[in-house]
Amino acid sequence: MFRITRRKAVAGAALAAAALALTACSSTTSLPGDENDADASAETNSVFADAPVAADDLILPGSTMERIKERGKLVVAEALDAPLLSQQNPTDPDSVEGFDADLAKLLAIYILGEPNVEIVPPATETREAMLQNDTVDVVFNTYTITPERAEQVSFAGPYFESGLAVAVKSDNDDIKGIEDLDGKEVIVGANTPAVTAVPEQAPTANVTAFATDPAAVQALLQGRGDAYVQDYTLLASNAANDSSLKVVGTPFTKEPYGIGLKHGDDDFKSFVNDWLLSIQKSGHWAEAWKTTLGTVTDSDVPTAPEIGSVPGS
Amino acid sequence: MTAQLIPDRPTAVRRQDRAPRYAAAFLYDEPGPLAKRRHLIGSIVSCVVFAIVVGLGLWQFASHGQLDAEKWVPFTDPAVWQYLFVGLLGTLEATVVVAVLGAALGVVLAFGRMSHRPWVRGLSGAYIEIARTVPVLLVIYLMLFGLPQIGINVPTLWKLAIPLIIANSAVFAEIIRAGVLSLPRGQREAALSLGMRSTQATRLVVLPQAVRNVTPSLVTQLVSLMKDTSLGFIVAFTELLYRGQVLATYLHLLIPTYLVVTLIYLVVNGSLSALAAHLQQRLHRTGSPMPRLPRLPALSGAARKAS
Amino acid sequence: MNPLIDNLGLVLEALGTTLMMAVVAGVGSILLGVLVTVARVSPIRALRVAAFGYVQFFINVPLLALLLLAVFALPDAGLMLPLTPTAIIVLIVYEAAYVAEAVRSGVNTVAVGQLEASRALGLTLAQSLRLVVLPQALRAVVQPIGNVMIALAMNTALAAAVGVVELTAAVNKINLVAAQPILIFSSAGVIYMGIALVIGLAAGRVERKVAIVR
Repeated sequence: MFRITRRKAVAGAALAAAALALTACSSTTSLPGDENDADASAETNSVFADAPVAADDLILPGSTMERIKERGKLVVAEALDAPLLSQQNPTDPDSVEGFDADLAKLLAIYILGEPNVEIVPPATETREAMLQNDTVDVVFNTYTITPERAEQVSFAGPYFESGLAVAVKSDNDDIKGIEDLDGKEVIVGANTPAVTAVPEQAPTANVTAFATDPAAVQALLQGRGDAYVQDYTLLASNAANDSSLKVVGTPFTKEPYGIGLKHGDDDFKSFVNDWLLSIQKSGHWAEAWKTTLGTVTDSDVPTAPEIGSVPGS
Repeated sequence: MTAQLIPDRPTAVRRQDRAPRYAAAFLYDEPGPLAKRRHLIGSIVSCVVFAIVVGLGLWQFASHGQLDAEKWVPFTDPAVWQYLFVGLLGTLEATVVVAVLGAALGVVLAFGRMSHRPWVRGLSGAYIEIARTVPVLLVIYLMLFGLPQIGINVPTLWKLAIPLIIANSAVFAEIIRAGVLSLPRGQREAALSLGMRSTQATRLVVLPQAVRNVTPSLVTQLVSLMKDTSLGFIVAFTELLYRGQVLATYLHLLIPTYLVVTLIYLVVNGSLSALAAHLQQRLHRTGSPMPRLPRLPALSGAARKAS
Repeated sequence: MNPLIDNLGLVLEALGTTLMMAVVAGVGSILLGVLVTVARVSPIRALRVAAFGYVQFFINVPLLALLLLAVFALPDAGLMLPLTPTAIIVLIVYEAAYVAEAVRSGVNTVAVGQLEASRALGLTLAQSLRLVVLPQALRAVVQPIGNVMIALAMNTALAAAVGVVELTAAVNKINLVAAQPILIFSSAGVIYMGIALVIGLAAGRVERKVAIVR
């Protein structure tokens, strides 16, 4: 029995040593795919070429911008599973592609001169907290500006205006838009604006919420719902990928996306707003749109929304 | 027990006369030829029925296009497997850390709860009861939201590991305590009467046997723990289930991705359980002072011949 | 003040769904778990192997993956049910494996002499199990089964991912508008704690009532 005890002790020590070694190996960031190299965005070089960089006098001493510049990277709360907006490519985990991702890199170039971005994927309920305790610098996460949220965080922008639209199975000709959804089974994404918008516009619709977009699409195709209400660009991306569903009607709401910042950081807010204006003027905003969201729709580059035009921004 | 550990007469016991390998077989007589045939027919029929049901399911699955090559081609890309594998490494890393530290803390708590000092008992008991009822998610939120407010910022691994350690140490403590309580009291008394100090008795006599008794529960808890690391997505810790979710969104393929992820979990966790069972068998063979299944004279050939 | 109180109707309805799922799945999983353990001690080898395979499969696979596959893959294999019943069935099947493991360790604590005595008295297998083994086994594992029931109650939160409107889904919906995550999620956490506490206390009472004094 003493033999076993000693053996067990040795095994236990080895296990503990292994555990400590493992933790020592990864003491800082645990997301291997979140350090973006400057040359990881080969395909979208056109988006970042000649991107504006802030003049030194704009980096006010003691401000968030200075802190970011000293750190050398911009920490962004950004999803990894939002197609066309910020989607990590599993075959190349260092590259995260999409409109939100590109804008974050442009902001990093503006502050640092290089697109050094560290991505922290937030859960929807943790976005405000991440800003409040400085876990991240900005939130680029299709963060809809609402007055309630504006009490917890500050919004720069809006930087894009999207809207909710309706998708149905390709062989469904009964539903032509949001007005036909009364009394029907409607699928929405949990934690998306559709959760509140659909009951407003179609009060008798029966709403079921699914956690992820692939789940919602699958539910629609299986017949667990008659229609799927989701952001227009996401639906267009799904329809482009799968011909068994189609988008009907036009977007019926206006969802202004803002850049989430720490509450009360007015210096940083005006800094980011200046940046937003400059990339809109220089055409980089349009270029980013064309290479991401623009690939699934035939329409022209939309006009960027006016900064500060939405209550809460 | 009526069994004799050391039989009156040493008998040569033939292989087929040895006691059956599972204890519950004591519940019924050795099945005769008719019963054996009925059992065989029953087994074959149920296997055939099961195969038919599975076959039907697969056929329906294929007819809905779920077994189409285009849905599965992405999984021939080694980069995809590497992506998932890195996630698996993250899961394993978190599991090992939580298992080792949680088990250590659990042992301390278990003996604290059985201590003769009332304040130690009360403290351990209170911790265990609270830690068992608080949802792990809540503790993670508290760590995520609360700690940075007072200035403490820990690496991502520990944001996930500490709440899991807090919760799992309580469960481990209860399992180990159940193991210790299931031992005959004579073990500890005998150890003490041999002159061992209390801690020696615990370390050398009680704990090894207790752990051996509850190894299945410990392994189950370890597997459960590994699955709980999927809560890491809230703190942005790289682990397998979240990576599966990103992959599913990227490929626009829900079912194949989650089938693959399920398979990976099954293989990894299954090997873990198999390894633990194997280890437990080896430990039993080498060290246990009491045989697990006593050989009943009633079932051995000599007695049967005599009656 | 507290957004949950402002939306009390929604919260109570969702809490009702959570409790209903926990109770129904709890009872179902205990029954199924006991059946699986009986299969493991049966003389028919196929049943023993099947029960072993069942337990190993469901213990080693994460519940979220199972829920997603049951809701989305099963319909393509021919079986489509409404969401809440599907979630409850998956919970029953999943937790039954854990119950089976707990009851199995309980059966192992029953002294071999009990089994011999029941055979000596001429009881058939079914009678021995029903009258001698299972009562003792179940009494020995009240606390572990209580733990499984607590885990089950916590796991009902995963059904939110597949569209069931239970407490977690309702709380997320409220937070979407109110944007006060710490307050809202702490309150929800307290409610879940309350459920776990009730189950733990009930298990303690049952254990004291049926305790075998050795």
